[in-house]
Amino acid sequence: MSQRRLNWFLLLGFVLCLAGFASYLLFAQFPLTRDVPWVNFLLFAAGFGFLFVGLRRAFGQPQQYRGKIFGPILAFLSVLLVGFFCFVVFYMTRQLPASAGAPRVGDKAPEFVLPDTNDQPTSLSNLLSTPLPNSGVAPKGVVLVFYRGYW
Amino acid sequence: MSRDLCRKAGYTFPFLSDPKAEVIRRYDLLHAAAGANGQDIARPAEFLVDSSGVIRWANLTGDYRVRARPEEIIAEARKLP
Repeated sequence: MSQRRLNWFLLLGFVLCLAGFASYLLFAQFPLTRDVPWVNFLLFAAGFGFLFVGLRRAFGQPQQYRGKIFGPILAFLSVLLVGFFCFVVFYMTRQLPASAGAPRVGDKAPEFVLPDTNDQPTSLSNLLSTPLPNSGVAPKGVVLVFYRGYW
Repeated sequence: MSRDLCRKAGYTFPFLSDPKAEVIRRYDLLHAAAGANGQDIARPAEFLVDSSGVIRWANLTGDYRVRARPEEIIAEARKLP
């Protein structure tokens, strides 16, 4: 039976790349690690490092280590994972319309009337003029947040 | 669904619904067919409007993963007279 050792560097490398990919949803919850997903990139770098050494062992010392077949397969899968991640994070999420006609600083915010969660019509002018419950005076301003929601 | 979301998340601010994207269009924030099922949605944006209805601060992100931090918006709001 073969005396070659399991090339665990290859497995670890792949697992690190997988972890880097899957953990995006976890780290995306914190702006510090989401805006630039550096933790994920660190995991990818470590994964590739281990894969590289693992491949070197598999091909350089084939009498001692296995992995001439599953090594390149894992490496290829890792490249696909990381490639897809980079595609999404550097390209896909930046594909936004120019919105050149959006109101700018100094413009009057366009008036609107939309229903709230209790189907009550809510207008911008009302939000700006209705006294707040706790202070009894109208607010100093309003923050409008448009988000990518749909349902 | 919005009502459930607001209740579960404990939101106390007005949460408005723009099903035909009319206001989204008025603000030129339409991101056509960008929803998971091809719906028209908004591209992310935040505006700070003062008591006279004038925009004092606007943030249209270039990457929808990157949004204005709450601290930033609060700091801008503190500048309102």
